[in-house]
Amino acid sequence: MKYTKPKTLSRRQLISRAGALGGILLTGCDSNIYTPPTIRGGLMGVADVLTMASQRFLLSDQALVQEHDINEITKNFPVWNQSNPEDEDYQRLRRGSFAEWRLPVGGLVNQPISLSLEDLKRFPKRTQITSHICEQGWSAIAQWTGAPLIKILEAAGGVKPEARYVVIDAYGGWYEGYDMFDVVHPQTILAYGMNGKDLPQGNGAPVRLRVERHCGYKQLKFIKSIQVVSSMDGFGRGTGGLNSDFDFHWYAGA
Amino acid sequence: MQRHSEQIVSDNSKLKNSMEWIQRHSYNARICHWVTVISFGYLFWSGLMIFLQFPELYWGKVGFQGHPAVFRLSDWGLSWDQADALGDRRWGRNYHYLFAWVFAFNGIAYLGWNVWQKKFYKKMFPQREEFQLSHIKTDIQNHLQFKAPAGETAKSYNFLQKMSYLIVLFVLFPFMFITGFAQMPAFTAILPELIDIFGGRQTARTLHVVCTLLLVLFLIVHIMEVFIAGARNQIRSMITGKYAISTETNE
Repeated sequence: MKYTKPKTLSRRQLISRAGALGGILLTGCDSNIYTPPTIRGGLMGVADVLTMASQRFLLSDQALVQEHDINEITKNFPVWNQSNPEDEDYQRLRRGSFAEWRLPVGGLVNQPISLSLEDLKRFPKRTQITSHICEQGWSAIAQWTGAPLIKILEAAGGVKPEARYVVIDAYGGWYEGYDMFDVVHPQTILAYGMNGKDLPQGNGAPVRLRVERHCGYKQLKFIKSIQVVSSMDGFGRGTGGLNSDFDFHWYAGA
Repeated sequence: MQRHSEQIVSDNSKLKNSMEWIQRHSYNARICHWVTVISFGYLFWSGLMIFLQFPELYWGKVGFQGHPAVFRLSDWGLSWDQADALGDRRWGRNYHYLFAWVFAFNGIAYLGWNVWQKKFYKKMFPQREEFQLSHIKTDIQNHLQFKAPAGETAKSYNFLQKMSYLIVLFVLFPFMFITGFAQMPAFTAILPELIDIFGGRQTARTLHVVCTLLLVLFLIVHIMEVFIAGARNQIRSMITGKYAISTETNE
């Protein structure tokens, strides 16, 4: 049994990363990393904050998640939930092998951009073999290759000072918000490769998110667009994502 | 033998001569007991609601439908779809986490109240003479014959009782938390070693369920014993703290 010892990102590296974005990505010293966008009422909200704050405190060194050995990769990685969104645009893109797919990166960035799949593959790539952990109870191991989300925001000129969340929309109607604490994590990538091949249809082609410290339902598939915002108000019920709109935990570190 | 003499509250003047009242449970033990009852109830039920929507257990690092399982509910007569319809993990997950916090704070309060108190060790931990084989043998015999303790022996917990309480408090309860943490994605970064101890999160999940069954087994025996020893007296003592001892049947 062998796995790569997780490396810890030093504070200096973090600060230099943040510096590249004009010092505006808040990483570990900001109180808003401890609470979800909307705190639910009553005891449920108290429990949410206790869970998120205690785990974020323990995660504040931005340590990498455990990476597995190549021979531990699961052979029949499950396809769960949506495997082929019934969306006209998506179907058209799929028939064209996603050559026409464009990823707009907008909102509170200094220089909105739109990336093709080829553009995305030109970013410094990161490959990681990690566990995909579904809140239902199942888990499987796969190798993911993609571009770090932070590099994409850097390419868009960095984010504006009031930026707090990155909202990702997906074909098929899902959307999810992520706070900057997760965005700056080096293993947070837009994955276009799985187990050395292009990302398969059922696993979210052409591009899905890997945000490794969370349950499966935060690993959005079939990515459509990225926007940086200051608040989750106005998106769905305003809870921060479709899962939490349905009353699942927004913070899904568990 | 003068055991727990400081806890004895003689109230014989108002009662029949054959009865003696002792202060059995402290204020804090009674509060923590009933908070445990409520939170364990919620934790068990919410856990079941989560489990029913994925009613298979695996061993090792990975597990999913189609992967070799160590337990499948469908082998026991309830199909995947039937179980799924009975479960509700949206409700289950919310309440599981809420009451895990209640349970944790309750446990911390209980330990905080008690670990510095000498009488806690006297009440909960077996004394030297109780480890003698003959003593344990008598204890087992009494249990097998469903003989309720009376008189002097009823004033304190017996050996098997103490051991089972200690195992629940200091082994099974912490184990539930540890196996719970080992299933959480955040712990792949916080403490991956915790997952490796079990050889994978799926093993931790399976052991979480096994440990639940052990706790349920304890609960069944616990409730049975309450009835054998006299439900009214036992339950009253966990509410008011006062426990009646019949001195006539003193051995």
